Amino acid sequence: MSTTEHDHSTTTRLSLNLDGTDRTADVDPRSLLVEALRDDFGVTAPKIGCATGDCGACTSRVDGQITKTCLRLAVSAEGSQIVTTQGLAEDGELDVVQQAFWDEQAFQCGFCLSGMIFAASELLAENPDPSEQDIRWAISGNLCRCTGYEAIVAAVRTAAARQREIPQRG
Amino acid sequence: MIAQPFVYHAPTSVAEAIEILAENPGTSRVIGGGTWVVPECNRDESRPAALVDLRRAGLSGIDVVDGVVCVGATATYSAVMSSPDVARHLPLLAAMASGITGGRQIQSQGTVGGSVVAARPSSDAPAAVAALDATLVVAGPDGERRVTGTGMFADASTSCLREGEILTRLEFTVRPAARWGYYKLKRSASSWPIATAACVLGEQPRLVLGGVSATPVHVDLGSVLAGRPLTPDTIEEAVRRAADSVSTPWEDELAPATYRSAVAGPVARRALEMAAHQEES
Repeated sequence: MSTTEHDHSTTTRLSLNLDGTDRTADVDPRSLLVEALRDDFGVTAPKIGCATGDCGACTSRVDGQITKTCLRLAVSAEGSQIVTTQGLAEDGELDVVQQAFWDEQAFQCGFCLSGMIFAASELLAENPDPSEQDIRWAISGNLCRCTGYEAIVAAVRTAAARQREIPQRG
Repeated sequence: MIAQPFVYHAPTSVAEAIEILAENPGTSRVIGGGTWVVPECNRDESRPAALVDLRRAGLSGIDVVDGVVCVGATATYSAVMSSPDVARHLPLLAAMASGITGGRQIQSQGTVGGSVVAARPSSDAPAAVAALDATLVVAGPDGERRVTGTGMFADASTSCLREGEILTRLEFTVRPAARWGYYKLKRSASSWPIATAACVLGEQPRLVLGGVSATPVHVDLGSVLAGRPLTPDTIEEAVRRAADSVSTPWEDELAPATYRSAVAGPVARRALEMAAHQEES
């Protein structure tokens, strides 16, 4: 524990593997994980929408599980491996879900993207050929206030079709 | 940011968790998955001095021991959904878990045990767990105790846990496969349930309603379904008993008491009809 010079709060050191890099920051122990990611680690892809677990805008992958990071205390993530949507591209290439969202213009303001993209990726990992109903259920934990969801559903369908065409490694 | 400072504890054993709770009497909250307690603190509706997070306490497993399915207190909905033991012995629990609100994230974060302890009238888990005749295994300063049936829930948002106690696991005795049904009424995909019905029609048939009262309502089926086939007549009689069993209907922002009374019967009917349409196993 160390004490910061501003106000009377105490910070605690938090170490994570964040988007493939080992990182350490001093965080207020009262922080939600999404607040620490944004304010202390500078990774702003996860957004703060509702802070009640409804909207999904703060979604990141934490130790393999897609997670609404507003429902996690930052201090509970010590030693965790965290992937945000900023860590999905490889060698500057968007992943298949991101590219489909781009091509289908499946976002307007972009606030819901983290939740939608991770929910879509999770679905496609389990079900390479989802029905429209499967897609709508899979994204149901995420709220989009711009698109009416049609373009998002189209993007997930496109991503699924493209993923089925990619020869699986191994 | 949670306004009030607190001390965060992540005990690595049940004994350590009990010790921490004993050191903070009346001022601590226990975190199972965090999906309820964390936002509640963030909204400043709860101001605990200590948060005791059970994520490292070794309570997340699901095992079958001596004919009993043991679901650890911090087993997530996802863990329940992917457990072959749950699929085989407790298909109703898996169905409940797969239908919770909040998407895959909440399934991976929320815990059945946490939902039972939170005992919120509009949650999915309490009525389903009651219909499956669960035993709650509770640990506290005086050792372990076991709670069953209507003893599991005291009031709205109040489980059977006493000061200083934690839930360690839910136990379900393995019984011969039986027809079961689960039905949930809610307004939209992102809504909490307004009413649920869960039935298991084994040797001792059970029908439990959720959401319609402060605590799960065990419908007195008498001898209506025991050892008798599900026919339109027996279903009708069970539905009548379900509708009559809601004496003090729950009311909240989702639905008024009159609405909850009115839907208790139809929700029970849909769960029973789901059971009726299952193949004999």
